[in-house]
Amino acid sequence: MTPQSELSDQELLARIGRITWFHSLELRPGIVTPGAKSLAVLRREEEALLGPFDLRGRSVLDIGAWNGAFSFASKRRGAARVLATDEFAWTHPTYKGLESFELARAELGLEVETLQLDPTRMDASLGQFDLVLFLGVFYHLFDPIDVLQRMRAVTGQVLLVETHQDALEREEPAMVFYPGRTLANDDTNWWGPNPPLMLHLLRQLGFARIYYRDHPHYLPAEGSRTRGIFAAILPGAEPAMSAHFGIEWRDLGAAGAMRDFRP
Amino acid sequence: MSEAELRTAVAGHRWLQSLRLRPDLVTPGLKPEAQLKAEEAALFDTLNLKGAHLLEIGAGNGAFSFAALRRGAARVLATDHLAWTLPGSDALSATQWAAHALGAGIEMSPLDPRELTPRFGSFHVVMATACFDQLFNPIQALRGMRSVTERVLLIETLQDGLADARPLMMGHGQVLPIGGPEGSWVFGWGPNLPLMTQLLTDLGFSRVLYRHHPTLGAARGLYAAFLPEAPDGLLEGFHTPWINVTSPQAA
Amino acid sequence: MAKPAALWYLRAMTLPDARISDAELLTRMQSFHWWHSIALRPGLTTLGGKSMEILAQEEDAFLAPFDLTGRSVVDVGAWNGAFSFAAKRRGAARVLATDSYTWNHPVWRGREAFELARAELGLDIEAKMIDPPDITEKLGLFDVVLFLGVFYHLYDPLDVLARMRRITRQLLLVETHQDLTNDARPGMVFYPSDILNQDATNWWGPNPALMLSLLLQLGFTRVFYRDHPTLGRARGVYAAFTPEVEDSLVRGFDSNWLDLDVPGAIEGLLTP
Repeated sequence: MTPQSELSDQELLARIGRITWFHSLELRPGIVTPGAKSLAVLRREEEALLGPFDLRGRSVLDIGAWNGAFSFASKRRGAARVLATDEFAWTHPTYKGLESFELARAELGLEVETLQLDPTRMDASLGQFDLVLFLGVFYHLFDPIDVLQRMRAVTGQVLLVETHQDALEREEPAMVFYPGRTLANDDTNWWGPNPPLMLHLLRQLGFARIYYRDHPHYLPAEGSRTRGIFAAILPGAEPAMSAHFGIEWRDLGAAGAMRDFRP
Repeated sequence: MSEAELRTAVAGHRWLQSLRLRPDLVTPGLKPEAQLKAEEAALFDTLNLKGAHLLEIGAGNGAFSFAALRRGAARVLATDHLAWTLPGSDALSATQWAAHALGAGIEMSPLDPRELTPRFGSFHVVMATACFDQLFNPIQALRGMRSVTERVLLIETLQDGLADARPLMMGHGQVLPIGGPEGSWVFGWGPNLPLMTQLLTDLGFSRVLYRHHPTLGAARGLYAAFLPEAPDGLLEGFHTPWINVTSPQAA
Repeated sequence: MAKPAALWYLRAMTLPDARISDAELLTRMQSFHWWHSIALRPGLTTLGGKSMEILAQEEDAFLAPFDLTGRSVVDVGAWNGAFSFAAKRRGAARVLATDSYTWNHPVWRGREAFELARAELGLDIEAKMIDPPDITEKLGLFDVVLFLGVFYHLYDPLDVLARMRRITRQLLLVETHQDLTNDARPGMVFYPSDILNQDATNWWGPNPALMLSLLLQLGFTRVFYRDHPTLGRARGVYAAFTPEVEDSLVRGFDSNWLDLDVPGAIEGLLTP
């Protein structure tokens, strides 16, 4: 597709410069937004998160899309419909998330819908999506259980949750509460769940199979599994949509699956 | 061994390679002397073999092993599984006669390259000519050769599928003058350059150099594959027409 | 909250006759990723990547030409076991299902899924965890070897095909992805990393001329071919017979099958 934008390279660079970017996006050959996450990091994350799925012809809902890297990636992987949603980052005075998203979307010429809506207010009226991306949001919520329930209501087949985690030494479900700025000096961080908690919470919500993999950049070798990725699959989901789970993934429902998490 | 005995032995064997045993005595082989000389120069002029330990796979009648010894190799082990073990084959006996006539102190073994493991030892240089064209399973044979290579693997092989950009190999059958009186049907392969590059890099070779065959052009190819631990100086002799097919520019 | 998987599994192992409720079976079925759609009870079918309709067509295409009554069958790469179960139902005296990759896969958990299906169907089938590159004569000799959907997943399919030959008494049935199908000369294409169908376990695409050469080279004396029943020429099915094959094994090939080792057979497969 040809870019929709008629900005000169100079103008584009000036507009990029007015925004604080989280995602590095290559908008034109050689013009990359200066995101806190590098292109290489995002490429590995995209492969880890979306690699297992065949998105061709399917619908994707991106919760907390921010600059849109995963919405754009889903579209490029053949999704028929992609809806990007956000509120916090999109209305943030410094991040100017929606403006950044629209700038990138216009440059990339990708047909992605947007909806400014906080996940705490989502419900089934939004419709159901084959794949729901709930990446880097869970632990920023004061009431993540309520929101996870809302995510279940908008999931047609698979819910993908990426989150900070904690309490890995425990085999029983647990999540750690972070008052004030106790986690990473960031007062938007509230909870650190462990994999057993995610397993049982997701099962309780009706997901039949819960698969887990370590985050590609926070590996056990580097000290701790501080972030994990959970793919929760509803009963009746098409097997062909999720046929490419590699060896990095494991079924949390398998006997003994939790024992491996202990540091 | 008298000269008469030698001439009788030469006449009494079937030869895969044309070896000059005396100024006026050349074995009547399938592969002409000129082609062997051209291949020897293309493969060995690039490397300093002084003091090297060399393993040859598919030695046939030993032409390259004898050449390596002449060029100063300290140890040469010539092997051929197919030609030296087929029932009715006299290729090993022919090679022994040739070694004797040339006074060449090479070791000989009919070992199967598929069975090579690091326990077998290691060689600075491992080489195989007519590599894919006479092997039913070149994937396994390459793995075996890799497991005993210390520095560099030299390969000469039939090629095919050259018009295709995708890595592939085509099956080839041929009758070789070994085994029974009518010779033996041997099934092998003609790989293309992308496949060779892929298989060699998959095996851990970090630099792969390529050139066309010196007399037959692209129908056959020569490969020099270097392990990461091979010193850079080893590549100094590889001038045009050799090209580095693992460097980004090659793509 | 659902009971931990370990407990269900243990109970199934120790009390094979205890029939679980339909609801419990459904929950257990849903706890696995299935490749084969298998009807375990009336109305209770596993939701596999391959539908029942496709499996029925494949079973008919792969197995109907052969009389399996009283024969021994090994299914190499059995995964959820559909073809092992089919062979047993078609009268095989002994069926051995083998797999390793899908049975050990941390997500697919193919062995447990296979065990659930086998227990539910009550079929007398043996199972052995073994990877095709490790198979030797020690596995035994089988009248029929099923080698379905495995060839192209192997980095070294030549080695494994030779191993399959060594355990075949009468018939080796190979089903594989193919490529270069418009070339009359034998050849196979290599797929680095995951370029074929985004699947890093796909390595080679052979053509019919190559499969014929390889199978003859390995000592099979006749090779019959047919296109895949639903995917056409993109995948091929090869029935390779040893010299020891009994006439009674072959019920009869329909017109979808072609004797490959006759002049012009390979050329006949090329599209003009």
